[in-house]
Amino acid sequence: MQGFVGRRFASLALLSLGLSGSVPRDAFASADPASKRAAPLPVAVLGKVSLAKLKSSEPTEIKAGLDDARASAKGGLAAVPLIVDLLRKGLPYPLTVAALDALGDIESERASATVAWFVRHRSVEVRRSAVRALAHTGGALAVGALRLALSDGDPRVRGFAAAGLGSLRAKDAVGDLFVALDHRVNEAAVSIGQLCAPSECEALEGRLGRVPFDVVSSGLDPILFRPSGEVSDDAKVKLVGRLRELGTGETNRFLREAVGRWPKTGSARVRQVLEQAVLATTGSPTNSPHEAGGGVSP
Amino acid sequence: MRGWRAVAVLWLTSVGCGGGPFAAGSFSTNWSDDGGRSIEILRQRIGSSRPAPGSDVAVGVTSHLDALVGIPLGEGTPWTFQHPLSSRPVVTSNVVVAAGSGELFALDAATGKRLWARPTGGLAIRGAGDDGSVTVVTLSSPQGKDSTLLAVARNGTVVLRVETDQDLGTPAAFANFAFVPWGNQYVSALDLSSGVEVARVVLREKTSRAWTTAGALYFGEMGLFRFDEHIQAASHNQATHVGLPARELPGTPRLFPTSGERIEPASGAPDKIRLYARPTAATEPLAFEDDRFYATYFRLVMGFTAGKGALAWVHTHPNDVIGGAAAIGALVLCDADGKITVLSAKTGGEMSQRSFDGPLAACVVQADGFTPSGTASDQGPLAAQLAKAIENRDLDLATAQRLLLRELATLKDDDATRTLLEVVSDPRTSPAVLGDARAALAGRRSGSRFMISALERHYDFLKDVLAPPPVGPIAQALAAMNETGAAPLLASHLLDPADTDEDVKQAAVALVTLGGAAEVPALEQFFGMYRDAPDDDADIADAVASAGQALLEHGGAPGRAVVDLALANPLTNAAAKAKLQAIVGALDAQKGEGR
Repeated sequence: MQGFVGRRFASLALLSLGLSGSVPRDAFASADPASKRAAPLPVAVLGKVSLAKLKSSEPTEIKAGLDDARASAKGGLAAVPLIVDLLRKGLPYPLTVAALDALGDIESERASATVAWFVRHRSVEVRRSAVRALAHTGGALAVGALRLALSDGDPRVRGFAAAGLGSLRAKDAVGDLFVALDHRVNEAAVSIGQLCAPSECEALEGRLGRVPFDVVSSGLDPILFRPSGEVSDDAKVKLVGRLRELGTGETNRFLREAVGRWPKTGSARVRQVLEQAVLATTGSPTNSPHEAGGGVSP
Repeated sequence: MRGWRAVAVLWLTSVGCGGGPFAAGSFSTNWSDDGGRSIEILRQRIGSSRPAPGSDVAVGVTSHLDALVGIPLGEGTPWTFQHPLSSRPVVTSNVVVAAGSGELFALDAATGKRLWARPTGGLAIRGAGDDGSVTVVTLSSPQGKDSTLLAVARNGTVVLRVETDQDLGTPAAFANFAFVPWGNQYVSALDLSSGVEVARVVLREKTSRAWTTAGALYFGEMGLFRFDEHIQAASHNQATHVGLPARELPGTPRLFPTSGERIEPASGAPDKIRLYARPTAATEPLAFEDDRFYATYFRLVMGFTAGKGALAWVHTHPNDVIGGAAAIGALVLCDADGKITVLSAKTGGEMSQRSFDGPLAACVVQADGFTPSGTASDQGPLAAQLAKAIENRDLDLATAQRLLLRELATLKDDDATRTLLEVVSDPRTSPAVLGDARAALAGRRSGSRFMISALERHYDFLKDVLAPPPVGPIAQALAAMNETGAAPLLASHLLDPADTDEDVKQAAVALVTLGGAAEVPALEQFFGMYRDAPDDDADIADAVASAGQALLEHGGAPGRAVVDLALANPLTNAAAKAKLQAIVGALDAQKGEGR
């Protein structure tokens, strides 16, 4: 789980700050973003005392209420209207960030419209929080706001937005994600890998050699591990063949990591092709010229 | 002082060839105004004789100061004369006078052939004039005090020499008389045959130069006095005179160097910041030819109407202009790269170009009878010419660019607004002029369609739109024009984080005037998002106050409720709250009076 991605895509993994676990490491993870999270915690419903804090005019009380709501995660559903009201009436910036974080953790789509406001906030910290939250609140409004955020002036906002679109399974946004990838929003590669239709997956593969290997492969990894119903074994075999043809040390490491993580219940044919590709690329040169500087760690 | 005099005396005794009359008593300050009697007698003596046209030529000093190069402006072939140079050459009539290696020499301006040479005696050239047969030269000591006037015939014979402790200016020669300005107000006429000062005129404007051009003799420095039937009334300030209209010009350019200024062989900033103008023909009432005068400022060249001083055109040259002359229907420019460019007086369009072999250290142009041929290139509208000049990022040009921006702002047509928008939005625009450009844009009262169109643009990383439009100045202008149709776009910029705080503030201010019910949601959103903005964010606090005011104007009772709630909330930005309280107070008072 932590091997290939954990070590080699450390920088890309940062994009999932606040989305931890949202990039499907599990080959057959459910399409439901909520179910992709780590072991579900028992829902603790937010109490009246905490709700009352959210009605206070004291910043410290409000902050405490927001912390309570955040800790309750989905159990804080009752707090959503109160937090939304606070945000619409106006909060100091630090409390705005806390409110957005709380709404993200509560994961209620009802909050998306208000959270989407803050994707256009002048404070970059507020925008980052809003984009992270939208990846959890979901819904069409969230997707629309995240697509807008791909054009933000801040690279981290763009990265969070790209990752969030993958997390929300926003297949309509794949075109935007390709534009983003071509504008060096590297986080878009993972989302493309999660969402792409066959022709789109091939378009991502086509970036091999043009875009640094670690960026493209961060998107190829989810393609390999997506269910056969989404990406056929033929397509996966073709992808592995393409990687094998690259014949670099990087592809060898990538393929080895994939074999290591290949599920026992996964396609035996694909596993076999992966294993053959590992053998074929063993002893390959470290980097091809266009991959130099790609951030590959030994 | 004593040293240079000793050398000069030695030089004077060595002039040989029969020497020449040593005139004494000239330039005496013990002189009473004769009411123009002597100069009028002289004028009548000269009669209808007119100065012959001088050679039309550009003379350059090579970059190593070791040669003069000449290019005739009309017919003729370029020439080169190798000689070290210690002075800027002077082109007068059909000779070029220069000095170097202790030698004063004259060349035929058309061919570059040496006419004569003499030792300088350590003196420096101040100016020269020529009437086609005799060259008069004024020289000064190294200290710049005391002057010598020398008249040299074509064969090198010194026909006159005068030493004086007066500060002599640039002389002219005409009809066998030397006309010598001095003391910044007098012009003495010396008979070149006898050396006697036969006439003197006192002028009521600073005068350090005499010269012939366009078939007449002129005196002046700031403006031009013509030697005609009115010169006798000069002391009563009734001589025929023409001057440049008073107007702002970049770098305070001058028509001529000031008296006593030592002119180095290589050009400097004063040569790049110059005025050029040419008087009309002697047979016409005195005015400036083509109703034009011209100003250069490094690589910018501007043509102005001579009557009112209005900007007629702007030419952006590839490099610095170091010399030039106004001709009939044209301005002839000489640049540091060694190119001679002829611009149309009327439009500033390029008519022709010639080139020296290489870059020049200095360049002097004389265009007396030169009339250019050829069609001028299309310069486009003045607004486009101004845009080209202003968008140049050369920081040397900032002073002129600011002036040109003001000129652009005075143009009332829509195109000027479009040009200002381009200037403000262009990343090539010098930061030194950007503030002025934004102010000029804010002051526009035309071209709103271009402004509204510009507001449709937002920062968009994926579409490579990496700069927002100048929302603030646009908002100010549109509000002044009461362009309510711009309100939705202004509201969209209220919520654009890529816009500057100042721009957002101005958008909010404009929405008070231009907004309506349709903008209330955006105003509420903005108000909610920034009501608690940090206290150090002054522009945003102002924007919040304006958004609140707009909500009061356009939001009805719910809008008032939003504002009242903010006023009651202790977390509301203090500055915004104070302004809102004042606005609400005034509004309530107004309503009270209405009742």
